[in-house]
Amino acid sequence: MIKEFSFRFDELVLDLPLLEQSLGFGEGPLPEPIDEYLAEALAFAVDLPDIRCAYRLVDLDEPVHRSHKIVAEGIEFHVGHTVRHELKKSERLAFFICTAGAVISERSKALLLDGDPVLGYVYDLVGSFVAESAGDKMQEILLEQVSSSGEKITNRYSPGYCQWSVSEQHKLFSLFPDRCCGVSLTPSALMHPVKSISGVIGVGKEVKFREYRCAVCSSTDCVYRQIHQRSVMA
Amino acid sequence: MSELLTQIAECIEFGKINKVAPFPPQMKGQDGADELTARAIAEGVAVQDILTKGLMAGMEKVGIKFRENKIFVPQVLMSAKAMSTAMMHLKPFFASGEARQKGTFIIGTVLGDLHDIGKNLVAMMVEGNGYNVVDLGTDVPAAKFIAALEEYPGAVIGLSALLTTTMTNMDSITREIKKLKPETVVAIGGAPVNQEFCEKIGADYYSPDPQGVVEFLNRRIA
Ligand code: B12
Repeated sequence: MIKEFSFRFDELVLDLPLLEQSLGFGEGPLPEPIDEYLAEALAFAVDLPDIRCAYRLVDLDEPVHRSHKIVAEGIEFHVGHTVRHELKKSERLAFFICTAGAVISERSKALLLDGDPVLGYVYDLVGSFVAESAGDKMQEILLEQVSSSGEKITNRYSPGYCQWSVSEQHKLFSLFPDRCCGVSLTPSALMHPVKSISGVIGVGKEVKFREYRCAVCSSTDCVYRQIHQRSVMA
Repeated sequence: MSELLTQIAECIEFGKINKVAPFPPQMKGQDGADELTARAIAEGVAVQDILTKGLMAGMEKVGIKFRENKIFVPQVLMSAKAMSTAMMHLKPFFASGEARQKGTFIIGTVLGDLHDIGKNLVAMMVEGNGYNVVDLGTDVPAAKFIAALEEYPGAVIGLSALLTTTMTNMDSITREIKKLKPETVVAIGGAPVNQEFCEKIGADYYSPDPQGVVEFLNRRIA
């Protein structure tokens, strides 16, 4: 069963301090005109008509810990050691697609191409945060749904992270109808609109929710890691 | 005169575009790269000096600070904006030969990939360090790189990709370029790319950041 949702921007909780930090101006208020740029991009986001999410809850064909792969709906997912470990004890899986939508993706692209690249970058960053926050919101809804039967959820994990190949998105997308939430996947596993995420969440009575930390990721030069290190050093 | 060039370098380093620009706060109300470059030209400062001792000196600092995570993308974009504003004053002198660029760098995001912020940053930084940059955009097939090489013989190629799936297209593109133009130097970069992959596909250089490729170009062709 696929559950699909449309969110308004004001239903989402954006990590604004992290967003400001990601702009790289350190502690204190943002300088002009960056503060205005951020206000503009956030005001634009308020009217976004196409923030959408969908998840599909499926039973596992075999328990996670017994196998090197994860098999659901007859599809074998090779999620890699880390994700398999995080999903162990799951009884069901929720595969998902979330998007901040085409409107913000295209607006930022247009500004980057031939408007104001700084403003375009601020829109780009806001788009990324909207996509992630939509994921958070969807996670909340999923938790609410499954907790009625005493189940819990893991954090969300995405193809392209932790040795789970980004090309496995093709298998994930095969669980959804074409252009579900308005998102399509190119042969090279790129989602359109760009500000979209896909992945899986483990569901079960015994699963644990663990904050996603840089420690479980092997990427050394990721901006999130740099921001994290910077705030640790500060 | 050298005082003026130092001021221009500072405008680039801190992203001061022109007098009315409020950024950066500590330079509010002061002349920016725009006014100072125009003044330097009017005062008869050698255009080549404005380029190398003013603009490029500032941009080099930007590249180093970005590599060291002391500044983030928005500051680099501000500096690039200051740089391109100043460059408008220099454009006529490139045409007349009075100022020279060091060589040509052709950059594009490879076939199948649409990411461009990283690629744009590399393009801006390389341009800001005195190179002619030809930006082929995103989703670029081998044929387009080869056509650009016909137009700019001896240019260095830069390939960018942000997904492991599209990164593999760097392999075929590098191979096709090298088959037709074996002497071509190919530099690659993007989040999933690393030195090992660079060696595996026979590319000439990998850098995790734009400053790396600037230094490589300076060693290789300048
Ligand atoms: C923000 C972000 C997102 C945002 C926005 C994405 C977007 N396309 O706009 C959101 C949350 C939506 C997202 C989604 C996804 N993401 Co993402 N994301 C990032 C993140 C954190 C930052 C990307 C960014 O904007 N960087 C800033 C720019 C300036 O950096 P850059 O492009 O890397 O360029 C720099 C260097 O690489 C270098 N460079 C670039 N090109 C060149 C060229 C040359 C010649 C040289 C020398 C240097 C060079 O210089 C640039 C300046 O320093 C990166 C991790 C990272 N890199 O830090 C992951 C990352 C790009 N994402 C990744 C993945 C997997 C995904 C998803 C597939 C996950 C999923 N299943 O949902 C989706 C795909 C989305 C899609 N449309 O298909 C992977 C990609 C690698 C891979 N495994 O294929 C990364 C690298 C994270 C990781 N696992 O390590 N993502």
